[in-house]
Amino acid sequence: MSMKPRDRVLGLFEGKEVDRMACYSGMGNVTTAGLEQLGYKFAEVHTDPVKMANSAATSYKLFGYECAVVPYDMCVEAEALGCVMNAYEDVAHLLYPTIKEKLIHSPDEMTKVTIPDNIAGRGRFPLVMEAISLLKKDIGDEVAIGSWFLGPFTLAGQLMDLNDLFKLVFKKPNEVNILLDRLADLIITMAARYREAGADYITIREMGAPTDVLSPRSFRQVIKPHLEKIFKNIPSPKILHICGDTNLIIGLMNECGADAISVETKNDLAKSRATIGSEPLLFGHIDGYNVLCNGTPEDVEKAVLASIEGGVDAVWPSCDIWPTAPLENLRAMVDTVKKYGAEKWARKNR
Amino acid sequence: MTPEREKDILGRLAEGVLNYDEEMVRQAAQEALDEGMDANKAVFDGLVAGMKEAGDLYEKQEYFVPELLMCADALYAGLEILRPHMKSTKEDGGVKGQVVMGVVQGDVHDIGKNLVKIMFEAAGFEVHDLGKDVPLEKFVEEQLKTDSEIVALSAMMTTTMVGMKDVIKAIKEKNPKAKIMIGGAPVTDEIADRFGADGYAKDASNALKEAINMIASLREL
Ligand code: B12
Repeated sequence: MSMKPRDRVLGLFEGKEVDRMACYSGMGNVTTAGLEQLGYKFAEVHTDPVKMANSAATSYKLFGYECAVVPYDMCVEAEALGCVMNAYEDVAHLLYPTIKEKLIHSPDEMTKVTIPDNIAGRGRFPLVMEAISLLKKDIGDEVAIGSWFLGPFTLAGQLMDLNDLFKLVFKKPNEVNILLDRLADLIITMAARYREAGADYITIREMGAPTDVLSPRSFRQVIKPHLEKIFKNIPSPKILHICGDTNLIIGLMNECGADAISVETKNDLAKSRATIGSEPLLFGHIDGYNVLCNGTPEDVEKAVLASIEGGVDAVWPSCDIWPTAPLENLRAMVDTVKKYGAEKWARKNR
Repeated sequence: MTPEREKDILGRLAEGVLNYDEEMVRQAAQEALDEGMDANKAVFDGLVAGMKEAGDLYEKQEYFVPELLMCADALYAGLEILRPHMKSTKEDGGVKGQVVMGVVQGDVHDIGKNLVKIMFEAAGFEVHDLGKDVPLEKFVEEQLKTDSEIVALSAMMTTTMVGMKDVIKAIKEKNPKAKIMIGGAPVTDEIADRFGADGYAKDASNALKEAINMIASLREL
């Protein structure tokens, strides 16, 4: 039986029998090859819904990736709340947009942030939703359409200095909590809108909270309650992704209520499985830069096999695929999953 | 001052830093001055000893980045009181040298840079922190303005790392004597060589060792 990528991706969440694990992502995966084919510059696709959608579709068209995901940058939510984004239009090489003007400059401003009623109409939210709808029309019958939000803590780190936020977690826990709770509401509201626009699945990226930076204890006290609230209130399929070191918090991540968790290369999958058992869906964990960009197709095949044999249920990259990754590497990734994604899939062979 | 009293004050300076208790540090620092303790001793055997212990806990994954940032705030609270009284000659371990530091353009990952900065400041360097997403010219300007011995560049992404090469070239053109060290997750020894940097370190404590070696080699000239 040969399935459409879309049915393979979504079938797993619905508990249906699928032919093999899928090779896709919940995060950005546009390539410079895709951009070049369309004649687009990376700096201009963030502010044009047609260019955003067209470029997102190239990963399926060029190397058979089983999804299409927008947006690419982490500024969308923060902009809708009033931050200013820098797309680096006049820089020659590829840079990811950043926030150049923050919203919160002092601890007491934290609790002054409120979510405007017309939030869905602000900043680039309308543009992202249009891009989702365009993708849905273009290739939505074939592949799963994904979109994502920053987790509340990482989003707060876009609105204010993240290093200040770290300290305030200890010094002003109530204020931090109030802010994160409101941001969770924003994410819940907008996740519903993204789904209406045509997104098939939503990923929450809480990349400011791995144990490279935050203790498991802080994760439990500050991060987890808000993630739980979000996952309780957004429709399935919903995935939690965290970059960096996650072995110490994988159990806590698993308790947040997502349908699947996704981890990066630093995660020791065998240890994770030992902690959470074989039942939860676990995605990962191909290094989006060191392997996909700098490696050879043989390195990629090895990495994909390591993820599959480590016990993943879908091969995902560890973060955004770095755009300059060569097509031959990306093809090697998809081909390796096609080749071994049934035979070596622990869940299927249980 | 009795040895017991000295031990008590130094102990509270260190403990205050370790437990990120700024008030405790301020009070102990004031007592140190009032009772005539050498300010350099108070800083290095008190504050810095506490910060070093915090660094050890970080390596053991008992402390994480927020804890370290708060320890650093407590250290700064003590430094503010003690620094005006420090002897700043090199032999006394006062100001070791000046460093211009920042995360290169297009990159907002500044958590690691901030840890490096804390280590440098604790060790007695004067750090000119340019922050993150720093345009390349800014490094050149600041180095010339402050006549710093060292420029420390941080990058966490590959594309932004590439920008370091241009900064290094520009600084070396204007001031061949300035020592440049680079770091951040994608950077390696080999890349540092290829970009023409004078040094590289994989983490904050090695960055400090490297900087001290650089200063030593400059002073030998
Ligand atoms: C936290 C984080 C973020 C935070 C950063 C917040 C902040 N204020 O710093 C946020 C959420 C904002 C973020 C954003 C993005 N991120 Co990010 N992020 C991370 C993460 C999870 C941890 C980094 C970290 O802080 N580590 C902890 C610190 C303590 O370690 P460190 O930085 O390495 O520093 C140590 C050493 O390197 C060294 N050092 C550091 N600087 C210097 C300097 C000198 C001179 C020396 C000697 C030593 C030295 O000493 C430090 C202390 O020991 C990493 C994942 C990872 N595996 O590293 C991704 C990661 C760095 N991010 C990544 C990406 C892709 C992004 C985005 C582009 C995503 C997007 N779609 O927009 C954006 C960047 C936008 C931009 N233009 O900058 C990728 C980069 C891939 C690549 N090509 O290299 C990574 C590797 C994730 C991944 N697995 O792919 N991110």
